[in-house]
Amino acid sequence: MNNLTVPPLLALLVFPGGLFLLASGLVYEFVDRKLIARFQNRQGPRWFQPLADVVKLLAKEEITPSGASRGLFIILPVIALTAALTAALYVPLAGFAPSFSFRGDVVVTLYLLSAMTLCLGLAGANTADRFSLIGATRTLTQLFSYEAPFLLALLGPAIAAGSWQISEINTYASGQWWMIITQPIGFLIAMVGLMGKLELPPFDAPEAETEIVAGALTEYSGRGFALFRLGKDVELVIGLTLIAAFYMGGLANPLDFLWKTLVLLLVAAGLQSLFARLRIDQTVGMWWRIGALLGLVQLLAILVGRFAGPWITGLF
Amino acid sequence: MEKTSDGKFIVPIGAQHPALKEPGHFEFAVEGEIVVGASVRLGYVHRGIEKGCENRNWIQAMYLTERVCGICSHIHATAFALATEKLAGVEVPARAQAIRVLISELERIHSHMLWLGVAAHEGGFDTLFMYSWRDRETVMDLLEAVTGNRVNYSANVIGGVKFDISPEQKETILKGIEFLEERSQHYMEVVTTDETFTGRTRGIGTMPYDDAIRLGAAGPTLRASGVARDVRTDSPYAGYKLFPVNIITDTAGDLDARFIVRIKELFESYRLVREILDNLPEGELSIRVPRRIPAGEAIQRVEAPRGELFYFVQSEGGENPSRVKIRTPSLLNWASITNFAPGHKLADMPMILAGIDPCFSCNDRMITVRDVRTGQVSNLEDLKIR
Amino acid sequence: MTIGAMIGDIFKSLFKKPATEQYPFVKTAAPIELRGKLTYDASKCTGCMMCMRDCPSDAIEIITIDKASKRFVMRYDMAKCTYCAQCVVNCKFKCLDMSDEMWELASTTKQPFEVFYGREEDVAALLEKRSTECPEPPANPS
Repeated sequence: MNNLTVPPLLALLVFPGGLFLLASGLVYEFVDRKLIARFQNRQGPRWFQPLADVVKLLAKEEITPSGASRGLFIILPVIALTAALTAALYVPLAGFAPSFSFRGDVVVTLYLLSAMTLCLGLAGANTADRFSLIGATRTLTQLFSYEAPFLLALLGPAIAAGSWQISEINTYASGQWWMIITQPIGFLIAMVGLMGKLELPPFDAPEAETEIVAGALTEYSGRGFALFRLGKDVELVIGLTLIAAFYMGGLANPLDFLWKTLVLLLVAAGLQSLFARLRIDQTVGMWWRIGALLGLVQLLAILVGRFAGPWITGLF
Repeated sequence: MEKTSDGKFIVPIGAQHPALKEPGHFEFAVEGEIVVGASVRLGYVHRGIEKGCENRNWIQAMYLTERVCGICSHIHATAFALATEKLAGVEVPARAQAIRVLISELERIHSHMLWLGVAAHEGGFDTLFMYSWRDRETVMDLLEAVTGNRVNYSANVIGGVKFDISPEQKETILKGIEFLEERSQHYMEVVTTDETFTGRTRGIGTMPYDDAIRLGAAGPTLRASGVARDVRTDSPYAGYKLFPVNIITDTAGDLDARFIVRIKELFESYRLVREILDNLPEGELSIRVPRRIPAGEAIQRVEAPRGELFYFVQSEGGENPSRVKIRTPSLLNWASITNFAPGHKLADMPMILAGIDPCFSCNDRMITVRDVRTGQVSNLEDLKIR
Repeated sequence: MTIGAMIGDIFKSLFKKPATEQYPFVKTAAPIELRGKLTYDASKCTGCMMCMRDCPSDAIEIITIDKASKRFVMRYDMAKCTYCAQCVVNCKFKCLDMSDEMWELASTTKQPFEVFYGREEDVAALLEKRSTECPEPPANPS
């Protein structure tokens, strides 16, 4: 497949790195909220609500809590958003070829995505507040539980494609049967892992409103909060793009990207509205007992398929 | 971080907290995620309703007591009216008593549906919350169509009720009840079978039979521990003599059991509403009660949606009550939180709190007044002299 | 034991209109039994003041213009009224009734939702007397 390419400077500032990504993040947040609302038989927000939220937050006064390191308090949301935006450069966003690409970029992307969660944890620990401290602990606990299975789930297609480069996996995926059929377990884990990463319900124990107010972000009010939210929205887009590229037959053009990610978002919204919130111990237990095991089984199956497959076909 | 002197980490819930829709202050001492101690502090919404009753005539006082609670308003007015009628020595017509029961049962349906949503929300199950509140609109519309008001129904007068149930209203109620029954069946299935939800309710906040009695719990919280105690059957008031209620109990005593008991009570209420509508006794709607109530004292116990509600009313023969004392069921249930919260995860606290269906502003009553500066303690008699 | 017991609901809702009422744009009719604005028929009133006496929120004031010829004006404050209908029960001459109108009690001004009932010339005289006595603007008539 021939993905289109974009000039580097434009790639950084407008598409796919800068404005486009922020805008699509807001749009996807809107679609997610609207879908959940409709699943719950509610009206849902108007289309500009996420943007209005961000604008309002940016205009608000930001109060640095006493006892928190001011520098960290300001820089952490920036790092979080930056990491998320950087990660976008390596993924085939909107069906275009990744702006930058090198061998092993899938690992870099995944770690850039995790940087956001680390920033969240640090931000919570920094703001010396009881709720954010518990939120931060839970955020990091959750990070350690979903990260390994999520990684395993995204490595599956990489191993199948025999490459650690996102663009190559994308190309490989579009020439094959959809890997959602050949690796269903991997897809499930990747999907649920993404929800854990974004702390969406039912994995929202780190920011469980009824227990610890807003978790790690309790003390964030203005700009910082807006940046964290934007970061999460961007991660949602990137995560959906990755899963769609890996498991749903690659992304060849913008239209392909749009319908595949939206279908994934529909599934994610459905999962978000179906369950009661899991306690943090339930989340960890589920990931390590079921998620990691299934991930390993999937990996084994792929390895067997990859190395034994040619041998078996060679027999006949 | 702030720690208590014995090195425990305290997580405050309240007085302002997203889990609580009314102000109350809870302090949970935690070790990691495990709660090791719990304490409760109330009194943020004391409104002086008991004192306010003394300055109003009997009729106005009844409307004031109706405002003790926003959810179970009718039952408060009923309790006050029943106590006053007892003092006046009048016999309220059977039809009026039946209509009072009808409204109380509709109110119970409304209250339990509301609780179901709140409890689900505390457990992070917002979909159940939205659906149960959507369906709760049905019963609120029914109440509006019958009484003319959505919240403070003002169905009572001292000596009876204000309105009759017309055949069209009966049809509307039956239709609404049918829809609600079908939905409740579904919610029963959800709360008892959904794995993620039962994971949050089974074995959480378990209160054994003996402790439930020892701590003096009330209402569905008590009945979920297997104690068959319900004022509607133990000492039937108003129309409950004509329309007996079956007590719903469960033996488990945990949150799951409280869900089951409350939803089963919904079915019992549906049955009762149908029975009352079909067998509404003939007769007058109200009886004349003198404006001056003879001197005396009366107590009245009724079963509010949250449990036993207690009214003490005293008259000195005038146009005003001379003393009204209200004890609401939430006050009886706090001990079940502070005693059974330790040992659970912090994440379970909102659900355990919601499990007793707390109503904060209802239970904030004053017994003695302590002057913070002088330390002087005044009781009711002292205050009256001033 | 099931996982996702509400899947039927959420699937159905996706193809259903939201249950949300489009309130300010679409107004659902109030039930006929609704207790709304109080109406007063001055011609039947005898001035027994029983409505005023038992009103729990001081929403009613019966102003006597001429006791002998039974001319009364009622000042009714809708914002104070709790819509309990005790006055309707108390009135032995059926001159009070609760209509199903005016249940949207919101305003951008601080003027009370006051209504004056009675014979037109009586109300006019009363309002004029009031405006000369106190400089406050008279109530928002509705």
